[in-house]
This record gives sequence, C-alpha cells and structure tokens, in this order.
Amino acid sequence: MEILATLTMLLILCSIYFLWKLYSLQRTTNCYLIDYVCFKPPPDRMVNRKTAGEIIERNRTLGLSEYKFLLKVIINSGMGVETYAPRNILEGREASPTFDDALQEMDEFIDTTVNDLFKKTNISPRDVDLLVINISGFSPAPSLASRIVQRYKMREDVKAYNVSGMGCSASLISIDLVRNTFKSGKKTIALAISSESLSPNWYAGKDKSMILSNILFRTGGSAMLLTNDPAMRARAKMRLKCLIRTHTGANDNAYNCAMQKEDDAGFVGMHLGKNLPKAAVHAFVENFQRLIPKILPYRELALYVYRTIKQKVVKPPGKGNMAMTKIDFRTGIDHFCIHTGGPAVIDAVRRGLRLSEYDTEPSSMALHRWGNTSSTSLWYVLSYMEAKKRLKKRDRVLMITFGTGFKCNSCIWEVNKDLGDAGVWEESINNYPPQTLVNPYLEMYGWVADETEETFNREARVEELRTLY
Amino acid sequence: MPTQPLPDFSSSVRLKYVKLGYQYLVNHFLTLLLIPMIATCVLELVRRGPEELISMYNSLELDVIHILCSSFVIIFILTVYFMSRPRPVYLVDYACFKPSASCRVPFATFMEHTSMICEDPKSVQFQTRILERSGLGEETCLPPANHYIPPNPTMEAARAEAQLVIFSAIDDLIKKTGLQPKHIDLLVVNCSLFSPTPSLSAMIVNKYKLRSNIKSFNLSGMGCSAGLLSIDLARDLLQVHPGSNALVISTEIITPNFYKGNRRDMLLPNCLFRMGAAAILLSNRRRDATRAKYRLLHVVRTHKGADDRAYRCVYQEEDSDGHCGISLSKDLMAIAGDALKSNITTIGPLVLPMSEQLLFFFTLVGRRLINPNLRPYIPDFKQAFEHFCIHAGGRAVIDELQKSLQLSAEHVEASRMTLHRFGNTSSSSLWYELNYIESKGRMKRGDRVWQIGFGSGFKCNSAVWKCLRTVKTPVDGPWAECIHRYPVDIPEIVKL
Repeated sequence: MEILATLTMLLILCSIYFLWKLYSLQRTTNCYLIDYVCFKPPPDRMVNRKTAGEIIERNRTLGLSEYKFLLKVIINSGMGVETYAPRNILEGREASPTFDDALQEMDEFIDTTVNDLFKKTNISPRDVDLLVINISGFSPAPSLASRIVQRYKMREDVKAYNVSGMGCSASLISIDLVRNTFKSGKKTIALAISSESLSPNWYAGKDKSMILSNILFRTGGSAMLLTNDPAMRARAKMRLKCLIRTHTGANDNAYNCAMQKEDDAGFVGMHLGKNLPKAAVHAFVENFQRLIPKILPYRELALYVYRTIKQKVVKPPGKGNMAMTKIDFRTGIDHFCIHTGGPAVIDAVRRGLRLSEYDTEPSSMALHRWGNTSSTSLWYVLSYMEAKKRLKKRDRVLMITFGTGFKCNSCIWEVNKDLGDAGVWEESINNYPPQTLVNPYLEMYGWVADETEETFNREARVEELRTLY
Repeated sequence: MPTQPLPDFSSSVRLKYVKLGYQYLVNHFLTLLLIPMIATCVLELVRRGPEELISMYNSLELDVIHILCSSFVIIFILTVYFMSRPRPVYLVDYACFKPSASCRVPFATFMEHTSMICEDPKSVQFQTRILERSGLGEETCLPPANHYIPPNPTMEAARAEAQLVIFSAIDDLIKKTGLQPKHIDLLVVNCSLFSPTPSLSAMIVNKYKLRSNIKSFNLSGMGCSAGLLSIDLARDLLQVHPGSNALVISTEIITPNFYKGNRRDMLLPNCLFRMGAAAILLSNRRRDATRAKYRLLHVVRTHKGADDRAYRCVYQEEDSDGHCGISLSKDLMAIAGDALKSNITTIGPLVLPMSEQLLFFFTLVGRRLINPNLRPYIPDFKQAFEHFCIHAGGRAVIDELQKSLQLSAEHVEASRMTLHRFGNTSSSSLWYELNYIESKGRMKRGDRVWQIGFGSGFKCNSAVWKCLRTVKTPVDGPWAECIHRYPVDIPEIVKL
C-alpha cells in the first residue's frame, strides 16, 4: 500500500536525520585552543635586584632573622631580574593598597592582552558565547567578568563566569568549565582569562610563613580563545585530550597547608605551612594514578602492570621502602608544562617523573624570566616551548598545576600543527637558556648568610645599596 | 493612585469569556484538530467491516522478516531519539539556613548601633528613613561580627559566618534527602563578596570529606543573580555527566562588607542585606525522578554589561575617605526593568502558551504595519506560571516587577514576606521565597514556578521549574515556626 510505503520512507528519513544529528553533536564535543596571548607588563614594572632588596628592606617591622630569611628565599627562588610587580608595590604603597590600585592592575592586563588576542585571531568580542575568568585574590562587584563584558560590549546572552579563590590551579579549572560547556554540542566560542591579583594582597606583618607570598609571586596573565566548532579546527593550535582534577581537601593537613588568614597582629596574609610539599606530593600521586591510563601507550601500560606485579609478588618490598615502579612518561608525553611554583616544585616533579633537564627547561626558564605568576604560569611555559619551536604536529603536551585546597590538576593537549609563534618571549628567547648560571641575587645579597645581630648594620647596608646603582 | 473611571463590569465579563474561549481554542489546537480526524478513521474502520480489513492486511504480503525488520528499525530509532534528548535536571530538595534568634536585628537594635557607630547624624537619619520604608521586619538577622560596636570584620569572623550559614544549610539538606557526602559528584558555590583562599568550595570539601575526583567551582563577585548562574552551570555539568548529582550552595557573607563611611548611595546595602544561605541538590539520575520536588525546564540569562549605565548601577568602589562600599545608583529600577524586558523577550517564547504568543505577535505586526500608536501587548505571564519568586532585592524592585508583569498581590506575596522576615539575603532569597510558597501549602503537582534574579553587572537571570509532586505541609524549613503569622500587612512607612 502507498500509505505504508510513505510511512516507511518517512521513518527512514527521520532515522537518518536523528543519526546525523547525533553524529554532528559528537563532532562538536572537542575542545580546540585557537590561540592564546600572555601578558607582558611595561618595562617600568620590572623588579630588578635593587628593587627587590628595597622592597624587602622597606618593611621596618622586620628584624634581622626575617630579613635574612627573605633574602635567602629570593636567592633560592630561581627568579631572574626581569620579573614584574604591580605598580603600588613598586611605588612604595604596598601596605595601603586602594581598590583602584587593584582595578588598575587588572585593567592594564586586560587592555593589552585581551585586545591582542582578538586582533591576532580576528574574532570579534561579539562572537564570544562563553567567558570564564579566574583571578584568585580579587573579586569586586560587579565581577571582573562583567567588567570585560562592558569593555568589549559583548552580547546579552553571553555566559559569564567569574571563578575566584581557587589558587594556582585555577587556570585548568576554567578550562574544565569551558570543556564541560562545549560537550553540550552547541557551537561555542569561549574566552578564558587567567591572572592573579597582587596589589590588594600584600602582607604587612612579620610572620615568616606569610611573608613568603610577598616575595614569591609576580605579575602575569593570559587570555585564551577556545572553541568546539569543527570548522575552526584548521586554525586551532591544540586540542584538549583529557583533563583530570584531584581535590584532596578532605584531608585536614592538605586543606590547612595553604590558607589565607590573619596573623596574631591582625594582618591578613597567605600562610604557607611546612607540610605543603607533602600535601602537594600526595595530591600529585593521586592525580597521576588517574592520569596514567590516559597517558601511556598500551605497551608501556602493560610493562608497568607487569613490573608492579613482579615487584609486589616476586620481590616483596623491604622495611617500609617502596621503590616506585619505573615508568617512562616520555613514551606517552612529549612536552611537560609544570607550574612554576618554585625550583623545589619543578625539581620534585622532575624526580618523580624521571625527566631530564631538557624536559623541565621550559618551566625553569619561565620561572627565571617571569617568576611565579600563579595560575597563569602554564601559558608562559607553553609559550617558551612554542618560541623554541619544540611543538610539532601530533606532539602531546602535559600540563600540571598545584593549588590551595589542596588541588592537583593536569591536562593533556595534542598539538594540531607545527607551532612557532614566539609570543611574549619574542625579545628574550635568544637569551635562554642562559650561558652562565650565576645567581644574580646571590651575588648581591649573599653576605646576609654571614651576618649576625651584632655585625648587622642596617643603615650602612641600605646606604651601600643606594650607592651601588 | 490611577484616576480611571470604574470599568464597565458587564462588558468586561463578556470579554473575559471571549478571552477564555480564544485561549482554549489556540492552546489546544492540535487536540481539537485530532478529534475529528480520529472520529473519521474510526467511522471508516467500522464501515468497512472486519473481513474487508483482514483481506486488506493479507494483500500486504507481510512475512515475518518484514515485520521483524520494521519493528527493529522502529525500536532502534525510538531508542536513539530518547537517548539524544537532553537529560532532565531534577531538584531533589533544598534547604535554607535558619538564623538563630540571637542574631536578630530589630529596628531598635539597628538604629541604636548605627547612632553609636556613625559619626554623621545626617547618615543616621538617612538610614532610619531607609529602614522605615524598606519593607523589612523585626526578625532579620546579621552575623555575630556585625553585632559588635563597631562591627568586627576580620577574616576569621567572615570564615566563621560562612561556616555557620553554609554548614547549617548543608546539614539540613543531608537530613532531608539522606544524601551521603561521598556521593556528591559536582559542587558549585556562589558567594559574591567574600572569596578567601582556599575557596569556600574547598572549605566544604574539607568539612564533609568529599571525594577527591569532585568537580568543584567557586563563583564570586556575580551579585544577587548568582544563584541562578550556579544552577545554569550545574545544569550544563549534569548534561555531560550521566548519573550524577550536584550540590549548589548560594550565599552572601555579610561580615566583611559593612560600609563605614557616609556616602548615601553606599549606606543602602548596610540597611538591606542580611544573613542567609541555601543548599540545593540537583540530580540527573532517573531514580531521583520519583522523589524529586521539581524539574528544571529553562534557565535564561541576560547580561546588560555592554551598556555603561547598566554596568555602573551596582558598583563597588572606595569613597573619598577610603572606605569600601557598594554604591547603588538612582537608575537601578529603570535598568532592572530594561534587563527584565530583555530577559522576557527570550523566555516568553519558551514558556508562554500559544494564545499569548499569537496575541503578542499580532499586536507587534499591527504596531509596525497598521497603527504605531497601538498599545504594546504585555503577555500575561500568569498564564504560563502559577508561582513567582522575585528576588527580594528591596521593596522598590518588587513593586516595579509587580507593575510590569501585572501580577496580583498574592503572586508577589512570597517575595514581600521573605523581604520582611529575612531581609535581602542576596542570591539565596529565591529559595526562601520558594520555601514560603511550599509552607503555605500552595505548591501542587504540575505547578510551574518562575524565579527571577537581578544582580550587579547588570544581569537578569530566570529559571523555570515544574513541580513534580504536591508538597505537603507542614514543611520543615526556615518558615516552620512563623508561617502561621504570615502574610502580614507591611505598611508603607514604619515610624521609628
């Protein structure tokens, strides 16, 4: 009967339509990184050796032991003399920051970086469907996300999210948010912005565990454009393969090891406890246990299982000394972006993953050139690799970050095409890696190790500093 | 008061029936069309008789293979169709923080404290006038730190307030739903004006020992509409994670935000903002469908930040003395109305019945083509929703919305009474209002609720929920002990 034939045809057409819809939905679940731009502050915000010493010395409440401690920290920080700080700290107003200082710090970053990104990618702000910004230490009303919507006159239906308080691993949390929104299937362009606010977070007291954050953090920021539109695949730099988040906050030691609180005198500062490295290792191990099956090729995975069984069954472990089964991560990953939390962090990861100096060079050099830029450090490291022309098509990049909570987040990107954009490293890439390994701070402040209470003449030392340059 | 002549009652009654008839006709158009079709088919079948039908069937020459294949194809397509639909998001239950009586700030306390803290008598007078007209009652609560003279806004006190309000709400939710913290897969926390490191979401993970593979997000600075933003984020996450549940916490921490200066536009938040928190459990598991209270139908977000005036109307800044506060501009009502209009334009087609949409469409066409002076048709949202939860931002906001949406006093009763009993609890106010409606026994199965939130930015967010089971009174919650006293009559001015 004709009716039956028509009905069958209709059913078949409907089924083809559903299947096609399902297929196109699958295609739009990938997360592509179109491009990213890192913030390069103007040269008048640079912190050289003299400035670093001046800033430390300015705090008159510090006694000799704190002074020594701070100078030791800066000597061992792995940072060079071209890092950047916010204006109010350089101008001497670090202890009394105003609201406008914090806003100005953000505006300076947004105006340059986000503008550059839109110009570079030729995408209009009105095309942005999703905006995620993560800035840990500053959260005004209206949010910084709204500030960006206002500045760039974005659409009314833009989905804006302002993530705050999530520490140095927040950049990957923003990427996670973007990736989850992408999976809904609708073609979206997302703008992710990552930075840290330093102006309002200066610690004016003298608790040693809290002064560290004054010295260690530097200004930085980055803006990324991502999409799930398969049509933009050709222009994309990288594709996100997987993202693993681990939160060990259930453990009290992990939660309390990095905490913003008041000291006994009432000054607010970031307390970094002594068990921070232990908490970091614990979070790292837990994250990697979930990441390993996604990184390693089957052969290496099989070898790992075989070696573990052999170790546990054939050769039982000695008195509490568990030798870690040898895994060669370089079989699954080509490049490693480690959060530039400090030389200790980078060394620990290198030892844990059995990497070479070459593998951790981008992170060490980013730490040297830009300092610890908190959540945005990964992008400076990635930019170094790109500037050194290390990133080739189909390479896999592993990003690892640590943050308060205690969180360890990691993700794997697959490079889409050979990359060679020097980006923010354009002027300095030829100086890296540096020929000499002389620590500039050791040169200038090494004397502090020999000083005692009796010999220390603060005024004389300050005068000496001033006459040096 | 409008000075219109008394309406002609007889004609309005006739008009009412005409309108009812029109609505019924348009909204049930397909059903009305289907009835004659089915009737014809049945008549035809009866006319042909069973033998003729059997012979027709035999002439098709269907053998087993054909039947099997076609049924397989049909079942396969139906499965694919049902699996590709967006996952429904259920609101299993929610709990609001119930402040203890020791935190209450009756008018007398507030005025006494203000006169002792504030040096400028004009500021004291201004705050008195605001409080008189605010629509707040005598039982609103401020956190313990704000009871000090002057208030003691340390970080420790702010954390203590966060722990008090958030943990109480979550404990209540756990008791109500039997939720096990280890089973929480997603966590979204929104708190606008307090964002410590580690975040409030980390604080919750630590207290309740949540799993290490939890996906947590801490949203901050997003104002009083952030509650619906978090719901939107949770919904997007739940689309991607099958068989999961999400815990959403909406709160505002008052402690660090007491304004110490004298600028009038910044003193308003001191008078209006009060302590509150809500914990909401969302799920996309099919087994939760039977015990869930609501199902999320739509979330619509509108961001007017591109307009400079809208961006600056709720703005945090320092005054000339260096005191930080949030200034509320005089344009706030106009901008809120504008944002609402944009939001309605998007949500209207999603929720309004066809009758209202057609009327709106024809009026629009008429205005454009025939007569520009034709009055714009404001769709009747009472057709689409049974209950309205308007953010209790202040009396003016509720008045403005009642006027623009043409709502009756009963529709906005939940908002007004929440403002009276709890004050402006920012993003959690919508949940206190929903709880009011449930406590009054008005929430029936099938009822649709419209939650509207406004916030700095300027944002207007809406969420539409459908009630899945009639909520029986008495309802355990912040209204449990006082619901019998409500509604109260709130005078225009309370003389202090």
